Amino acid sequence: MTAISLRRIFTENPDRRYIMFGGKGGLGKTTFSAATAYYLARQGYKVLVFSVDPQASLSDIFQRDIFGKGPVEIVPGLFAQEIDADRRIRAYQEEIRQKIRTMYGFETLPDEVEHYIEAAAAEPAMEESAIFDEVVDIVVAGQYDYYIYDLVPLGHALYYLSMAKVYDEWIERITRLREEMRQYEEMAARLKRDTTLEEDKILAELQDIRMRISTSSRILTDRQKTAFFFVLVPEEMVLIDTQKAAQLFRRFNVPISGYIVNRVLPEELARQQIPAYLQNRLQMQRTYLDKIRHLFGDEVLAYVPEFERDVTGLPMIERMAQAMFDGAGVRGEGR
Amino acid sequence: MAEGKSFFGEIKRHVQDFIYGMAAHEMTRQALKTRGSMEHLFILITMGDILGVPILPPYYSLRLLPYVVPQIATWKRSMLREKDLTDALA
Repeated sequence: MTAISLRRIFTENPDRRYIMFGGKGGLGKTTFSAATAYYLARQGYKVLVFSVDPQASLSDIFQRDIFGKGPVEIVPGLFAQEIDADRRIRAYQEEIRQKIRTMYGFETLPDEVEHYIEAAAAEPAMEESAIFDEVVDIVVAGQYDYYIYDLVPLGHALYYLSMAKVYDEWIERITRLREEMRQYEEMAARLKRDTTLEEDKILAELQDIRMRISTSSRILTDRQKTAFFFVLVPEEMVLIDTQKAAQLFRRFNVPISGYIVNRVLPEELARQQIPAYLQNRLQMQRTYLDKIRHLFGDEVLAYVPEFERDVTGLPMIERMAQAMFDGAGVRGEGR
Repeated sequence: MAEGKSFFGEIKRHVQDFIYGMAAHEMTRQALKTRGSMEHLFILITMGDILGVPILPPYYSLRLLPYVVPQIATWKRSMLREKDLTDALA
């Protein structure tokens, strides 16, 4: 039973506390995230599963409205969180306004400044940035044993990963510029024999931003602490896309721990009286499962069956967790 | 004695000022001028949106905004005004 392999990854690498499931949209990332969180919580760990997707579906799978409510305890030890990006942006804007008001004693902000704050929030990257920033908060606080990222579909996930890198480089450059400015300031002060030099608050702020970004981008690429699983189904298009994505992810140094194949039609069906339609699907699936074994070999950690109904609510999540971790899945050999 | 000290102290200070004026004032001015233009560059990079030049993800530039509020007016003027020959002499 290959499902044991997935469990082994967790028991043999107890330091891998940041768990991510990636893959095309609609293949079961959220389902696997929820089931893994459930499994780990049952093992006695304190687990947070959170969504970085503005169109999150953790609320649907747990059948509870958790959107924007912070971490909500679903069963003992299992917390779920959906980030409300809009609310975070609004709170953030207000925080900036308040800071300006207190710093300069303004009653109302100058039009130009107010306009800038408004315009900045309308930028398309703002939502992702706000979620990214909240994830940094969550991870830096370090209150959980496991963090399970319910990632966005592949393209966005890559954007998310590259964002950390781009931000990091950008901040590093302007920090350097700022430090250079500081040197000129110090030189002038020295020449004038002026001993008091005000602390550069912008530089301090930049260094803080940089620390936050590098903390989270370090996690994403840390082989010791992070496990990234690809979710795929036995279909041609998905196979091709997964191969491409895996290459790209490797380029970003994302440590890929393995692959999980979802929606495998049970082989038992073939021994029953089933219509030609289903026979065909089974036949097709065998071809692609062979291909998957050939391409990924031992890296496939679990084959998860297509259930007779969709996975929502705790009883189904429990069944899914068993299929993934307790060997109640489908035979990897597929025969 | 105290008088003498303050007298020599006074002379010392004048000499120091004189030497500073001769040797270092120009350097100080130059250093501050360089710093000033870097400040402009810095604000352009971080707050470029105000001029319609989006350069960076705005999320973190908002965090810097409070510190540059006073500079924004002068900076915008200096970025948008026409340059002429006297700029080269400044």
